[in-house]
Amino acid sequence: MKTKKVTVGSVIKWILVVLLLVIQVYPFVYVMISSFKSLDDFRKLPAYALPSSFYIGNYVTVFTKSHMLTYFKNSVIVLIGVLIPLLLIALMAGFALSKIKFRGKKFLLNYFLLGLMLPMQVALIPLFTIFNKLGLINTYAAIILPQIAFSLSYSIQLFYSFSKFFPEEILEAAIIDGCSPMGCFFRMVVPLSLNSVITVATMQAVFCWNEYINAYTFTRSTDMKTVTLGLNDYVGSMGLTDWGATFAAITVTVIPVFIFYFFSSKRMLAGMASGAVKG
Amino acid sequence: MQKAFGKKSIILLFIFPAFLIYTLFVIVSIVWAGYYSFFDWSGVGEKIFIGLQNYIELLSRDDVFRSTIWHTVIYTIINVLIQVFGGLLFAILLSRVKKGRVALQTLYYVPVVISSVAICQIFSKLLSVTPTGVVNQLLSVFNPALKVMEWTSNPNISLYVTAFVEGYKYLGLYMVIFYAALIGVPDELGEAARIDGASLFQEYWHVRIPYIKPVIVANCLLVLNGSLRSFEFSYLLTHGGPGNASELMTTYMYKQAFTSMKYGYGSAVAIMIVIICLIVGVLFKKITGEEAEK
Repeated sequence: MKTKKVTVGSVIKWILVVLLLVIQVYPFVYVMISSFKSLDDFRKLPAYALPSSFYIGNYVTVFTKSHMLTYFKNSVIVLIGVLIPLLLIALMAGFALSKIKFRGKKFLLNYFLLGLMLPMQVALIPLFTIFNKLGLINTYAAIILPQIAFSLSYSIQLFYSFSKFFPEEILEAAIIDGCSPMGCFFRMVVPLSLNSVITVATMQAVFCWNEYINAYTFTRSTDMKTVTLGLNDYVGSMGLTDWGATFAAITVTVIPVFIFYFFSSKRMLAGMASGAVKG
Repeated sequence: MQKAFGKKSIILLFIFPAFLIYTLFVIVSIVWAGYYSFFDWSGVGEKIFIGLQNYIELLSRDDVFRSTIWHTVIYTIINVLIQVFGGLLFAILLSRVKKGRVALQTLYYVPVVISSVAICQIFSKLLSVTPTGVVNQLLSVFNPALKVMEWTSNPNISLYVTAFVEGYKYLGLYMVIFYAALIGVPDELGEAARIDGASLFQEYWHVRIPYIKPVIVANCLLVLNGSLRSFEFSYLLTHGGPGNASELMTTYMYKQAFTSMKYGYGSAVAIMIVIICLIVGVLFKKITGEEAEK
């Protein structure tokens, strides 16, 4: 009796596992499959059907009729422009806040963490007027700087909690050998924190790549748009008429994220869990 | 080490860059928005000081704003339900699976790394009516009338659809967090309950879930905070519509400022959002702080 109960339970369990898997993954599989459908397939076949042949015309359309490559170039520039300064200054601040004792340290930490509760949208009006005055609208600086600022709180929080485990003895030894604090930081702290730097980098990279509202508000022309904006524009103009090209465009923008994610998922998931469980 | 690093100049060197960028772009902007909120201003031309008029208008006469508060509350409740309870369900299931756990976790998390723009596009195609999308095609098997069911352009449900899509995207995030917390529960506790004759359901309901209650409470507030600032799904999937049916506080603010060119009024909405977020944030601090003290 008991063994039978267990098998019924495990059957239900696996049905659930598969069902949830379908829910979580099917929409993306559907998009990729549909990107190979020709116009005829969309007209004649039901939406869930497989394409009748392996048609790559949609991809040709995307790469010849849209500015996909420009969008990718801009996204890469923004990504690098955000990540490198963000990681550097957030690690410096997180490390100092966690390892150096000084007055007002607790206050400063709370000051930085306040940013976790503040939504980015509320800063857009003042930033827009200032950038407008300074002539920064439609420049990389306008896309990059607010993103760094609004990602700082989370990054500092993570580096702060990771730095707690940093072995101080190594620094002591280096200081006795005559290493300056900044020298120590770049020669000891950065290499030894590489694990946490990569964890934070992978998480922030995904946030940055997917960012929408900031880039949307501060860009005007096609040649400055990032992938998310480009996708929205492209689909906005093609979406009603050319579904195949729409699906191909979505696939093209999603594939790099998938590849990146499947290589770094272990770190990203571990970082997500440690950031939120331990606080 | 304290001696070498503890000098004021060194501390300044380490913290100042982050402090400067953060203060300038985050804190100053928000204070600045507070300043704008006392003016009648279209972004160009003269700023006219009108004191608290924007706030009075907002709170007493603006029916649309009042409805956006209501929408935001509903939106938030749906998201807490989907993300916290859904995430917990996924996490429990994951903790019961032995084979292929890592692969499953990786796949379940996929929607989190996809951009909101792509997710909105995908869902607008899945929920399409002409031509019939996958969802309606599937539903028409059960009830042919559902073949022409409108989702994003139906004022009665567009808000729920939007909230569902956001919940769908972020569910995996909370799954990962709850899963990490669940596997941290000492196995002896669960085993002891089983020996005492508890069923699997009772084991979770009475032992494992209460054990991770602080994590659940903390994450409820994280979802709350995330939903209060939600923008993209409403803006991209339904454009806040039809009419104002799925308009949220953030999309309303954005449209007031950048579409209607009412910068002062938009700033007043922004400040209201900040106040609400801060209240939730303080509650969050208080609850998690109390838990930490225990």
